[in-house]
Formats: sequence, C-alpha cells, structure tokens
Amino acid sequence: MKTSLYEKHVGLNAKIVDFAGWEMPISYTSLKEEILEVRNGCGFFDVSHMGEFFIEGSQACEFMDYLIPADFQVANGKAVYSPLLNHDGKILDDLIAYKLSDQLVMICVNASNIEKDWKWISKIYDDSNFDCKIYNRSSEYSLIAIQGPKSEEFLKNQLGVVEDLDYYGIKKLENSHGNFIVARTGYTGEDGFEVFGGHSEIGLLWDRLITAGVRPCGLGARDTLRVEVCYPLYGHELSENLTPYDCNLKWTVKSKVDYVGKKSLDESTPKYKLVKISLDRGIPREGYKVLSSGQEVGIVTSGTMSPVISKGIALARVERQKTEGVKSYQVEIRGKTYEANYHTKPFINGGHK
Amino acid sequence: MATKIPENLKYTKEHEWALVEGKNLTVGITDFAQSSLGDIVYVELPEIGFELKKDDPFGVVESIKSVSDLYSPVSGKVVAINSDLQDAPEKINETAYESWLIKIEMSSEEEVAALLDSNNYKSLCE
Repeated sequence: MKTSLYEKHVGLNAKIVDFAGWEMPISYTSLKEEILEVRNGCGFFDVSHMGEFFIEGSQACEFMDYLIPADFQVANGKAVYSPLLNHDGKILDDLIAYKLSDQLVMICVNASNIEKDWKWISKIYDDSNFDCKIYNRSSEYSLIAIQGPKSEEFLKNQLGVVEDLDYYGIKKLENSHGNFIVARTGYTGEDGFEVFGGHSEIGLLWDRLITAGVRPCGLGARDTLRVEVCYPLYGHELSENLTPYDCNLKWTVKSKVDYVGKKSLDESTPKYKLVKISLDRGIPREGYKVLSSGQEVGIVTSGTMSPVISKGIALARVERQKTEGVKSYQVEIRGKTYEANYHTKPFINGGHK
Repeated sequence: MATKIPENLKYTKEHEWALVEGKNLTVGITDFAQSSLGDIVYVELPEIGFELKKDDPFGVVESIKSVSDLYSPVSGKVVAINSDLQDAPEKINETAYESWLIKIEMSSEEEVAALLDSNNYKSLCE
C-alpha cells in the first residue's frame, strides 16, 4: 500500500522500505541529520499509514471510557494515551484517543493493527449498548507529524493559529488552507503537532513545508527518536502476550468501575518489566540477550545508536522474579558480554510542552 | 549519484573492496556499500593474528538502524586492523576506499583469481 504522499517521497529520492505492508520512507538523505534536526530544529513525517476511527453520538465518551483502561474523563479538546486491551487484559495495540467534543472522539491507531483493532472495537461496540456510532475513516485521512522545538513557529506560518494548543490538546482548524484536525501530540518527545486532513489538503501542506525549508524525515529517524525518549512500540515493547503491568504502562490504567479487560488485569501478576540500558561500546539490538550476574534475564526489545548521546541505547524486557532491585545488566552481542549502564530516566528528556 | 569503483581494486559480491599487494590483501567496504548503509556509527574488527577462511565473518559495520557482517574475501591471517575507525567510523562514509578495515596475509594467492574486477563489480551494483 502507498500513502497519498508516496510520489513526493520518491521525488525526494527517499529510501523506501516495507512497513506493515506500506511502502514508507525510512530516510531521505541522512538518518543522523534527520534525528538531530528534530531534536534541535524541526522536521516532519508522513504518518498517513496510521488509522483513524471516530466515535460519534451522545455516549461517545462513555463508550471510549469503557473501551480503554485509561481515564477518558477529560475536557473537550484533550487527548489521552492508552493501551487497547482484550478481555484477558493483554495488549492489542496502543492508541491516542482525542476528545473533539462531548459527542465526537477520534482514535489514532498503529498502521499494522488497523484491521485487528477495528474488528475488536466493532465487537465491543456490538456487545455493548452505548448510544453512539463508530466509523473507520483511515482511508480518508492523511497525517503529517511536524516535530521539534521550532515546529510551532513553522506550522503557524503554514496553517494558522496553533499556539493555543497545550500538550495533548486538539482542535479542528478550518480556514483557506482547508479543514484539518490539529493535535499537539507526537512520537519524538519534542514539542510538535500531528495534522490530520484530506489527502489533497495534506499534500498541499507537505509542499508548503518543503518550500518553507522544513526537513522531511523518515520512519528510521522516528524510531530512534522514540527509543531515545523510551516510548514503547507495538510489536516490540507491547504485544498480545503482555499486560500493561508487564511493560511499565501501569500509569495508564485508572481504577474505574469497568472497562474491557479489567477483571483479568485486576487478577494478573506482572511477570516482566522494561528497563533502559546503554552501552559505551557496541549497539544493543532487538533480540539480543540481556544478562544479570551471568544469568539470562531478558531480551532487548528495541535498540539503536543515539546520535544525540553517542551511545548504543536499548529498551529491554526482563523477568521481574530474576531482577528485583537489580541495576547491573549485561548484553550479549555476537557471543561477547558487554556491561550496560542502567538508566532510571529516559536517555533524552525531550522538550515537549 | 554515480558510485565510485576504482579500477585498480578487486571486489566481492558482499560489496567489499580488496587491494592486492603480493601476499597481502587490504580490505574495506565499497562506496556502494557505505551509501546503502547510510551513517556508519560502529565498527567491530577482529584481533591481529586471527585466522580466517574465505567467506568467514570477520567483523561488523553498523549504521543507526542496521548491522552488516563483514566476510573475508580470502583465507589467511589478520596482520593489521584500522583501529582509527573504532573512534571515527564515519570516515567510511567520507572515504570508503581510504578507510580500510583489515590487512590479511593470504595463505594462498590463488584465491585472488576468484575476486571480481571493477567491471564485473560495476554490473553487480546496477
């Protein structure tokens, strides 16, 4: 599959790779420069492959609050990050739910899970009785993420007033440039926005950002940026074999009367946790073994080189039983064992609002 | 952008270059390889004295997103490694044909005949 912006990537000589069945740009010129541009200036990404669902009706917010474990009792114009659970309390996906109004919610889900999520949400909808309708409009929307400390400055020049949005704020923006939904969210840890719109309007916004000198960045940069700030990714840190308690997402789960997966989750015992480690020499990669005192305790779930701190960095899933209080970890790389630095905070703070 | 393929060097299908000087062979990765990999951020090389057979893995080059094994073009013994690259792996991106990785003392010079010449390698990159 191709996003509406595919020809623009080809025109910019991007390296294209298959991502969950989508032909997406992994980088345009230099991955490293793209990463540094987002940390220090501003870059933008085509993330149109992601899915958009809408819930509309008088009980749209009540349905949302039942669907996810996170608290959706938020003000209009605010968004919430949450895992999406099955009845076993295991993670089907993670998502951002945007409350556009009392009667309209937008959900943005991972591209690789659109069909699975839609099927699941439809089932929950059919099995319950909320006064609302649900729509899958993934194919109607394109999506650009503009990220970095200068993103507000660039975006307001190209799109109109966005500076009134707080972190995780969202609004509809309708002006001569078209109709958009703009949110102050992203996946890089920096200040930034995600702009949802029709294909032609997003295509024009893309062109204007290019003309303004903003740097297009690929999914390669996006992945390293999210690992630097320790954001989990479905299929790596999150999976259907894990509960939110297994992957440091306890903070997303609110104690409420009922939600999908609550019973199982309340009865579950966490088996794993995610730890943050770095190496002074060598790069920990996904699938590498993680050891402690000579014993295998887990596995690297995402690993990369951080060009910002010039270290190999990783998120690793370790067994809780074997690692209580443990702060000393090693990574096995091609048969050799490397001592890791243990981090209690993300590798990079990020400058989001 | 045309990839550089010097005529005086030999090549492998694994996109390595080799400079043959009598019994000694100097090995690096080609301009095509560095360009495909993107920003190189880490290099792992063998110890001096390491014995290699033709096609044995002898180290890795890593970009931000990928790990690529290096394979020995010939059999022999590692007699030198370019340890400068361990602190400045980006030199491979800047000057692929000056940034050699290892030097091998060949156990048999006959294996040189199996390496590709610049014309054959060029068609591999097209």
